[in-house]
Amino acid sequence: MWSNILTTLFSMRFLLTIIRMATPILFAALGAFTAASTGIGNIAIESIMTFSALGGVLGSYLLNNAWLGLLIGLLIGILTALLITFFSMKLGADAFLIMIALNTFADSVAIFLLYQITGDKGTTASLPTPILYTWDIPLIKDIPILGEILSGHYVLTYICWLLIIVMFVVIYKTPLGMRMRACGLNPDAARTAGINVERLQVLSLVLSGVFAAFGGCYLSLNYLKIFSKGMVSGQGWMGVAANGIANGNYLSLVLSAVIFAVFRAVSIIFSSNSAFPTDLVSAIPYFSVFVILTAVSIINYYRVKSGKVEEH
Amino acid sequence: MTDNKFSKLSKNYKLSISNPKFFDAVKMLISILIALAITFVILCLVSSDPINAIVTILTGPLTKTRYIGSVIESFIPYAFAGLAAGVLFKAGAFNLGAEGIYILSGAVVTAVAISPVTTSPILHPILCFVAAMAFGGIMMILPSFLKAKFGTNEMVVSLMLNSIYAGIAAYVVRTFLGTLKRGGNSSKDYLATARIGYLYEPLRISACFLVLIAVTVILYLVMKKSRLGYQIRLAGTNPRFAEYSGVSAFKLAISTAAIAGVLSGMGAASALLTQTQFYTPSQSLVGIGFSGMLLSMLGRNNPIGIVVASFMIKYLEQGTKILYFVDKSVPSEIVAIVEGIIIMLISSQYFLRRFRERKLLKEGLEEHVE
Repeated sequence: MWSNILTTLFSMRFLLTIIRMATPILFAALGAFTAASTGIGNIAIESIMTFSALGGVLGSYLLNNAWLGLLIGLLIGILTALLITFFSMKLGADAFLIMIALNTFADSVAIFLLYQITGDKGTTASLPTPILYTWDIPLIKDIPILGEILSGHYVLTYICWLLIIVMFVVIYKTPLGMRMRACGLNPDAARTAGINVERLQVLSLVLSGVFAAFGGCYLSLNYLKIFSKGMVSGQGWMGVAANGIANGNYLSLVLSAVIFAVFRAVSIIFSSNSAFPTDLVSAIPYFSVFVILTAVSIINYYRVKSGKVEEH
Repeated sequence: MTDNKFSKLSKNYKLSISNPKFFDAVKMLISILIALAITFVILCLVSSDPINAIVTILTGPLTKTRYIGSVIESFIPYAFAGLAAGVLFKAGAFNLGAEGIYILSGAVVTAVAISPVTTSPILHPILCFVAAMAFGGIMMILPSFLKAKFGTNEMVVSLMLNSIYAGIAAYVVRTFLGTLKRGGNSSKDYLATARIGYLYEPLRISACFLVLIAVTVILYLVMKKSRLGYQIRLAGTNPRFAEYSGVSAFKLAISTAAIAGVLSGMGAASALLTQTQFYTPSQSLVGIGFSGMLLSMLGRNNPIGIVVASFMIKYLEQGTKILYFVDKSVPSEIVAIVEGIIIMLISSQYFLRRFRERKLLKEGLEEHVE
C-alpha cells in the first residue's frame, strides 16, 4: 500500500496533477495579493470564483463559444468587484460585512440561477457547453520529459503563469505598481503625494475580481468542464491564506499557493486508496492551510518579539 | 423638572427623521420594501403568476397552523447561530467558526443522545445540551486565541477549521456512532429519553423555544447593562480606546469566542433533539452557522433584532417552500437574494442619508421661522 502511494507521489502524473490543481489557487492568491497591495482585504474571492464559474459556463452555453463564455465570466468578476466598491465606497457600508454576506449567499444565488436555466439544482452537466481546450506547445512538446511537463496543459494554466509574471512586473517595476503599494503602506502619505488612493483601490479590487474570475472559469470551463454546486470548495480561501502567509512577499505567495495545491493533490491520492478514511483525507488540504498559516504567524510573532524584525 | 424630563423622554421617542432610532427603523422598512420589490421583479421573470407567487410567499405560512409551527421549530437553531455571530461581530471579531462548531457539536450531542447515560427524560436532553455547550465553548476559542496571541488571520483559520471539523464529524459519526441504515452516513437513532417533546403540540413549541427566549433576554441585558457587554461594545467600536482604558483584548477575545461557542452548541442540540432524532453530518446542520452571520447582520448585532430577523427569514423560507408545491419555477433559494439585498442596504451608512439631511434641513428652517 505504502509503496503504491510512494510510486504515485514520485510519478510524472502527480507532478501534472499539482500543476492542474495549483492554477485556481494561484489565480485566487494573485487576486488577494493585488487587492492587498493597495490595502484592501479582498475576502470575496471565493464568491467571485463561484459566480464567474457559473457565468462562464452559462455564457459559453448561450453564446456557443468557450472564449465568449470566459469573457462573460470575467465581466461577472468585474461587476462583483464593482458591487463591493459601490457599497463600501459610495454607500459607506463595511466592506468586510458586504464580502462576508456575498460569500455566504453566493452558493444560494448560484443554485437559484442554475435551477432557472437548467432545471437542475446541482450541476450544468445537462448543458452542452463548449469548453476551453488544452494547448500543446509546438517544438517543446517533442522534448522528452520537459515537453511532458511544460506542454499539454489547459490554456488558462498558461495564462495564469503569464499573469503571475506580468503582475510581478506591474506591481514591483512600474510607477503604477509603486503607487499601488504606497496606498497599501500608508494611504495618507500617498494622498499627500498626489495619488488618487480611492481610484487605485477600485482598480486593484477590479483586477482582483478579474483574477478570481479567471480562477472560477478555469474550474468550470477547463478543469471540471461543468459547474457544480460547491465546486470552489475553499480554493478562494486558500488564495487568501497564501496572501496572508506571503505578507507582501511575491515569491512566498506563489510558493504557498503551490504548496496548498500539493496537499490537495496528496489528498486525492489518499482518497483513491480505500485503506484511509475518506472523510479525514478530504480535510487534508484545509488542515495544511491551517497548520502552515498558524506556524508562520507564530514564527513571525516570536521574531517580532525578539526584536529581529520590526513590526509594521 | 418633571416637565423637562418628559420633554426629554418624548424627544427620545419622537417619530421624526431627526431621531436616529426612528430613522434606522425607516431605513430598515425601506430596505425590506426594496428587497421585496426586487424579488417581485425576479418573480415576474421566472414565474407565470408572479402576483400569486409573492402573495403565497408573504401569507402562505399563516394559512395552516402546521406551517407556522414548522417555522417556530426550525428558526430556533438559526436564531442561536445568529446570536453567536452577533456576539463576535459586536466585539469586532471575525471568527467565522460557528459552522464547524455546529457540525462537530452535533456529533457530541449524538454521542450523548444514543448512549443510555440516564433514564430520566428530563435529565437526558439537559446532559446533551451541557455536553454540546461545553464542547462548543472550548472549541470556538481556538481561532480567536490564535488571533489574539499571534495575530493569525482568524477568518481564514476559522474557515479552514470548519472544513476540518466537517471531515472529523463525518468520520466520527460513520465509525463510532453510525448505523448501516440510511446509506451509512448517519448516526443511530436517538434514545427515546433524549427527545425534547412539545409543550404545545399544534405550534410545535418546545422547551428549546423557551430556552431561546431566556437566552436572548439574558444576552440583551448582558450586552446593554453589564461590564462585559460594555467592554465588548467598546472593543467593537474602538479597539484602541478599549485597550487604553484597560480592557484586555486577549481576555475579551477568549470570552466572546467562548460565549459564541456555547450558543452554537445550544443551537446544535436544539436542532437535533427536537427535529430529526438522528444525525447526518453532511446534511443535518449544514449551513446554519453561515446563515447565522447573515442573520446577525440583519438584526444589526442586537440579540432581539437577531431573533426577529431569524423568524422573518424562516417565515419567508416557509412561504417559498409552500410556493414550490404549486409553482416549481421558484426554488426556496430566492430567500437568500432577499436576505442579501436587505443586508447590503441596511449596512450602508449613506443609504438614504441625503434624504435625511434634506428633511433635517427643512425641519431646522421651519423651527427657525417659528
